[in-house]
Parts: sequence; structure tokens; C-alpha cells
Amino acid sequence: MTHNWLLPENVEDILPAQAWHIETLRRRLLDMFNVHGYRMIVPPLLEYLPSLLTGTGHDMDTKTFKLVDQLSGKTMGLRADITPQAARIDAHLLNRQGIARLCYAASVVHTLPDGLMKTREPLQIGAELFGHAGIEADAEIQQLMLDALRIAGVSKVHLDLGHVGIFRCLMKHGQVPVELEADLFGALQGKDSAALAELAQKLVPEVREALCLLPKLYGNPAILDDARRQLPAIPEISQALDDLARIAGQLQGKVAHLCIDLAELRGYHYHSGVVFAAYAEGWANAIAQGGRYDEVGRAFGRSRPATGFSMDLRSLCEGLTAPSLPKGILAPYIQDAALQDTIAALRAQGEMVIIDLPGHETQRGEYECDRMLIAQAGQWKTVNI
Amino acid sequence: MTITIALSKGRIFEETAPLLAAAGIIPLDDPEKSRKLILDTNQPDIRLIIVRASDVPTYVQYGAADMGIAGKDVLDEHGGVGLYQPLDLQIARCRMMVAVPNGFDYQAAVQRGARLRVATKYVETAREHFARKGVHVNLIKLYGSMELAPLVGLADAIVDLVSSGGTLKANNLVAVEEIAQISSRLVVNQAALKLKRERIQPILDIFEKTVAARS
Repeated sequence: MTHNWLLPENVEDILPAQAWHIETLRRRLLDMFNVHGYRMIVPPLLEYLPSLLTGTGHDMDTKTFKLVDQLSGKTMGLRADITPQAARIDAHLLNRQGIARLCYAASVVHTLPDGLMKTREPLQIGAELFGHAGIEADAEIQQLMLDALRIAGVSKVHLDLGHVGIFRCLMKHGQVPVELEADLFGALQGKDSAALAELAQKLVPEVREALCLLPKLYGNPAILDDARRQLPAIPEISQALDDLARIAGQLQGKVAHLCIDLAELRGYHYHSGVVFAAYAEGWANAIAQGGRYDEVGRAFGRSRPATGFSMDLRSLCEGLTAPSLPKGILAPYIQDAALQDTIAALRAQGEMVIIDLPGHETQRGEYECDRMLIAQAGQWKTVNI
Repeated sequence: MTITIALSKGRIFEETAPLLAAAGIIPLDDPEKSRKLILDTNQPDIRLIIVRASDVPTYVQYGAADMGIAGKDVLDEHGGVGLYQPLDLQIARCRMMVAVPNGFDYQAAVQRGARLRVATKYVETAREHFARKGVHVNLIKLYGSMELAPLVGLADAIVDLVSSGGTLKANNLVAVEEIAQISSRLVVNQAALKLKRERIQPILDIFEKTVAARS
């Protein structure tokens, strides 16, 4: 027996009710980004590999599908993330001196799924703000993300705030070799205190103690005071803590829970400042995330301050109940000018009108119509089925 | 808000029970006697689920359990991706070792650059270990009684957990290399630690204090 119709693992179809839910949400979010001044871009599905992987380092390398361009013989990749494409467009094509606000909504593909039961074809929607280094930009992007989640119908958002600058500064301060840095990074990501203590053994005491503290510096914004007392008084660290405190102050009251997590280093290889992730009950992973990535543009010839957020509409919608599809109106297959006018008028109002093609009278139930058009005294009227 | 804790029967459960008790969590059934897989506790919002040790990380990663207790051996094999491992409980201690038949010159075999045949249940751990040493290996996945493999010529060496060394000795094997110190870890689902923090954090704190007081 063959199974030609089976799909690869972690690749799936989206069927009508869910598809319509995702699409209406996509439209509403793009409309919302638009009224905030975020211009839509449509970057290509595939590019030469180096430009896709630039700035994001190994984070995206193993996740990117690769193929050889028959025209040039160069290696191309299918995008695994749209953010670097937006950075490339900002750096090279727009050449603004001031601020550029961009948004996008398109599929990306991953060789490896992000986790159990995760799709390998996320529908990434997001917004990026280039050209402003201050935390005002971070606050704007975070507010945009919260608005997007509200529109999607996610109530009670839990927001996690971190800052990759602290770990980066400690690595520089302690002159930590690259291999050890990667191991320390892994241990911190897992909040694995035992492994962290072991790995940090040979580092200078100041850095070692600070690293072992990071997993504990987790909780409501008050822990920033603990962090100030306990972490080394290096200007970069103080600056990072100040940034976090200001952002936390602005977010207070806008989210159900706000949590500072100084061990959160998601996207460490290209993020450069404040990072954040939104969680909500019903999803086993973050539903939206973002942060600052000031250095990515440099690889494209122009270093620009940058911050943004993105989310996967597919996994977001999996946790939401898709509204049932609106029912339609069944219209007979008759060549009649008055009928055509009536149908056109109904469709102009947004009604779904389905023509009852001849020979399918017994399958009318499949049309999902709750009304039909019938002629009454020379007039076409809508009546309930 | 319910908190689900994944545990495996046997040694891990026995050594975890005192920690749970310190946090005021008492299971209403004994997993060794009951055939239930979900055990209620004296706390109405906390339940235990009994799963195979190697399945604990999967349950927690997917959020089917909010937290769990798993050996470092199991976590290394799983990869630990997407899990927090905030606490070394320092129970169920043992070592992950390479063992060979008595008289087999392991160091020479490794130095010659020969391709070693290694039988193990811990394929990922073994692959990572030998890759780091730069030794080529053919890995043979077995589900139990690894000690037998070198004796019947299936493998040159085994990678397995060693606690007392009694089984090795009885089968004329010797441990030649330590790969890692193993003990049980508390693992927590990342989203759960964030969304159910008020309930989970106090349990973590008590566990941590209890473990620290013990050592």
C-alpha cells in the first residue's frame, strides 16, 4: 500500500475553519501595524545563504534548508527567519537616515522543528523598528506586540524581560574563551545551576559569582535592586539594569504578570540588548518574542540600532478556538438578470452566496448554507433553510 | 491551577518522597502498591504522575507535567532542550562509565585510532563522549544487560551507569573511564515556571533548602 498523500513529519495542512481564522487574524494584525506606521515588506522565500545567515550565526545555520542555485552555482537557503531579511532591506534598500518601521507576514521553513509538535513551516508575522537606540523603541515594539496579542484574543499575557548585555559583558570582563562561553550559555539557558558552578570554576571570582547568581535573579521587577547590589559594578551592567527598570516601569499594569529573567539569553548570538518573550496559559512555549539586535545590520554594511518582535500565527492559533465559519446562502443555477443582481448585492454586503450547480441537489448539506434564495412574486428573497 | 509532577517508580521515587514531604506534599497512594498512574496528594492542586524514567523529560518538555525528577543520564540523552534544570537533588548518585573486559587494553585501542564497537543504552551520551575524544566508534543500541555484549563478542566496550561496580565485577569487566557524575535533577517546564511561578517557586525553594541542609 502506498501513502503518497502523507505529508512529511512536522508539516501540515491547515483546513478551512483554522485557515480562515489565521487569515483574518493576519489581515487584522497587518492593518494594525499599518496604522502604527509599519510598512509591509515581502522579502523573497529564498536567498543566497550568506545573506540569510549573516548576523544570526549558528542559530539559523542548521535550521536552514539549503539548495544549489542552478543559475549561479551558489548555495541558496530557504529563509528560516524574516528578521535578517528586514535588516538587509533596511540597511541596503531603504537607506533612511532616521527611523524605518517595517512589518511582514509570511511562511518560513525549518529543517528541524523548534520543539515537539512544532511545525516546520511557521507563519511568521512581526514588526521591526530600525534607527532608534533608545528604550523608547523597545517600549513601542513591546506595546505593539501586546496589542497584537490582544487582537488575537490572548488574555492574561505573562511577559518575561531579559538583557543579553549582562552575560556578554561578563564574558568580556572575564576574558572567557569562546568554547567555554558556549557551554556557559547552554547551562544558563537551562537554569542549570549545578553545571554552571562547575563550568565557572576557573573564572575570576567576580565573574564566577556573578554567573552563578544570574539564574537566581528571576522574578518580579524588584529583583533588579538585588541585581544592582549583587552584580559587579561595571557600567555596561548598570546600564542594562537601568534599561530594564525603565522598561519594566512602562509595562507595569499593561500585562498580567511581568517577570525579569537575567538568565534568559534567547537569540544571544544576534541580540544585543533587551530581549522579551510573551507566555500565556494554554501554550507550552513562548507565543511571541523579540528584542534588540543592533549589530545585525553591520554585516550588511550599515550598523543600525534595531528592535522588533515576531510570532508564529500557526502555533498562536492552535491555542485559540477558531470561530466557526459563517454560513452561506444557496442560490439556484438560473440565468436570470434579477437573480444575478440580488446575488451581487448580497456579496457586496459580505455574504457568502453559493451557486447550486446542477446535479448536486442531494449534496446540498455540504455547502454549509443556512439560507437560500427563492423567487416570491417576481422578487428574489432570502429564506431560512 | 494544578501542578503535575512527573516521577519514576523505584529509587527516584523513594529518594524524592522525603523532599516532597518537606514541601508538605504527601502522595495518597503508594506507587509500589497502587497500579494508578496518576497519584493524588494531600494537596488538592498537586498530583504526581508515574512514568518511565526516560520519559520524564518528554512529559515536562511538552508541558504534560509542570515539573519532574530525572537522572542526569536521562537528561543528557534527551538533550535537555527546552527544559529548566534548576536543582541538583544529589540523590540516586552514580557514574556514567566506559567499561571493557578485564585485560582489554582500552588506552591502546583508543590511541591506535581503531574503530571501537561500543554497546550502550545511552547512544547520544556515548556519541558525544567519543566525538570529544576524537575516537571513531560504532554504536550498538541495547536496552539492557549491556555487560553481556563484550563477553559474547558483540562489542569491545560498553557505556553504562555504575554505582557499586558489582555487576561489572561479576561479569569480569572493569571501568576505564568516567564520562559524567550522575545524580537526579529537578526539571521544570519553561512556560510553567513563568505562568505558575507562585505555586512552583516555593516548592523549588524548599527542595533547595532541604538538599543544602543534607549535604
